[in-house]
Amino acid sequence: MSSETGLTIRQRLLRTFSVQSRKLGLTLSPSIVWLLLLLLAPLTFMVTMSFMNVNDAYQIIWEPTLDNYGQLFAGDGPFWETSFFQSLLLSYEIALVTTILSLVLAFPLAYLLARRGGTTFKVVIFLVLLPFFTMYLVRAYSWFLMFGPSGAINSTLIKLGLVSEPVAAFNFGKTAIIVGLTHAYFPYMLLSLYASLDGLDFSLVEAARDLGASRAETLKDVILPLVMPGIISGSLFVFVPSLGAFITPRFLGQGRVLMIGQLIEERINSLYAIDYGSAASMFIVVSIALAFAVAFRYVSIEDLGGV
Amino acid sequence: MATETDGAVDTGTLGAIFGDEQKEKILKYSLYAIAGALLVFLWIPLVVMVVLSFAVNASTFFPFRGFTLAHYTATFADEALMSALWNSVQIATISATIATILGVLASFALARYDFPYKEVYRTFGILPMVIPGVVLGIALLIYFRTLLGVTPGFVTVVLTHSVYGFPFVLLIVTSRLYTFDESLEEAARDLGADPLTVFRDVTLPVVLPAVGAGFLFAWIRSFEDFIRAFFVRGTMDVLTTSMFSMIKYGTAPKMNAISSFIVFVIAVVLAVAMNVGNVTEYVAGTEGDS
Repeated sequence: MSSETGLTIRQRLLRTFSVQSRKLGLTLSPSIVWLLLLLLAPLTFMVTMSFMNVNDAYQIIWEPTLDNYGQLFAGDGPFWETSFFQSLLLSYEIALVTTILSLVLAFPLAYLLARRGGTTFKVVIFLVLLPFFTMYLVRAYSWFLMFGPSGAINSTLIKLGLVSEPVAAFNFGKTAIIVGLTHAYFPYMLLSLYASLDGLDFSLVEAARDLGASRAETLKDVILPLVMPGIISGSLFVFVPSLGAFITPRFLGQGRVLMIGQLIEERINSLYAIDYGSAASMFIVVSIALAFAVAFRYVSIEDLGGV
Repeated sequence: MATETDGAVDTGTLGAIFGDEQKEKILKYSLYAIAGALLVFLWIPLVVMVVLSFAVNASTFFPFRGFTLAHYTATFADEALMSALWNSVQIATISATIATILGVLASFALARYDFPYKEVYRTFGILPMVIPGVVLGIALLIYFRTLLGVTPGFVTVVLTHSVYGFPFVLLIVTSRLYTFDESLEEAARDLGADPLTVFRDVTLPVVLPAVGAGFLFAWIRSFEDFIRAFFVRGTMDVLTTSMFSMIKYGTAPKMNAISSFIVFVIAVVLAVAMNVGNVTEYVAGTEGDS
């Protein structure tokens, strides 16, 4: 640092970045370039593609059309009988049930964590976080071993003599997918709830009880309103990825349940039908934009990400 | 725990209070019961998988034929799988490095300066984390192949993951910078330190743990990502896509072994990380998906 060149470089650097606008330019421009090239451009192109047709030689025909959207809902019967509409509806249903289930399961645990410190907290949070950090694919696969006619649940039940035939509820299908997705995304709900319960002043709860409110009333009038931001952001973080889920329905549905992510993937991978795929993807994008728009009415973006 | 159960002794007064205490107890134990049941739910499939990874008969428990390490030996001898693992490690490291550099710079811009459309920029920066993998994967595949004419492969996966990892770094580092007391920097400057020294001696030590956590998150997200890599990988295999084909074509023994191995590694890393820094603080609000 004491050498002549070291000093000049140092001085030059200092001079260059003594101006605010230059500092801003240096810190901001790399990520802006990156986001424009690898996020905005691809997404814009995808939206454009959803209004274009692709011919048999995979060339884009640059004439705006609504054909792709029409095709999504075209079939022998009315639009609600098309496979696209059915799988869209099914995806909403699965994502919604998963979200509610996660909320119901996570709340007691988050409450317990917020009220307990020390070793109990550390051990429980470790036991929750480890599956959470384990690869998503591995977790989906671990449930794949549990379900099915010869899966761990059914084979154990039969071995124990509790049932003689594999139980249908433990076969692959909608239930299995919901269980797998809840297992996968439940920690987001837990952590969001914990974050808002942890900031909660529990003397308010005691005050409400002292003033004669019942437990149910305290929960409804004191606790719930205060943890609402946590509930909303947690729900968003479970609902959104569940809606676009791909691996879990693939493994745990075993072809019986077609969620929208799979439907798009099949068309793109087997036919490179990028026009159809783009149009179908718009339904996921718009659904998610709507979910966020609703959520932002109640919470700020700061509550969602901690930024 | 012990102190709370002791409190129940003090109930010799009114019947109503006694009933209330009873209710309190029931409520507390049912809370513990629910929490216990949840932990079982979270753990049981993983435990089953680990047990099966050591079982001779790798796909079901019954009939049970004893334990073996053969599946692990076969897995680590599988050259295609190991090269896919190596690809994943390289991709995760390069893309997390890019994400960290971009993310740290952007965090300073967000936390320290005002500029037009700041909120738009912030929302846009978080988007890669929120947008479903299927959509981002397909959008980038179409973009690379059709618009840019790039053949999907190693580079396209790195680029994709560098965008995907960016929000994790951004979120963690910005929240650290927001809680950082800037008067410390001013004090250092008043005492005669030049801006570079201030950055090195004051700012960096405070921000560094968050940068490390951001890098780790971006690395893990890249390493475990299947769907984005699946679309933009071309003919190259990464660990997750190899594992996916293993499940599809029914090679359970190796899949159990490699999966269980990953659980062991992550358990050790997490146990260490939790004792070194506050991991939970960073986890809340960072989101991933299929």
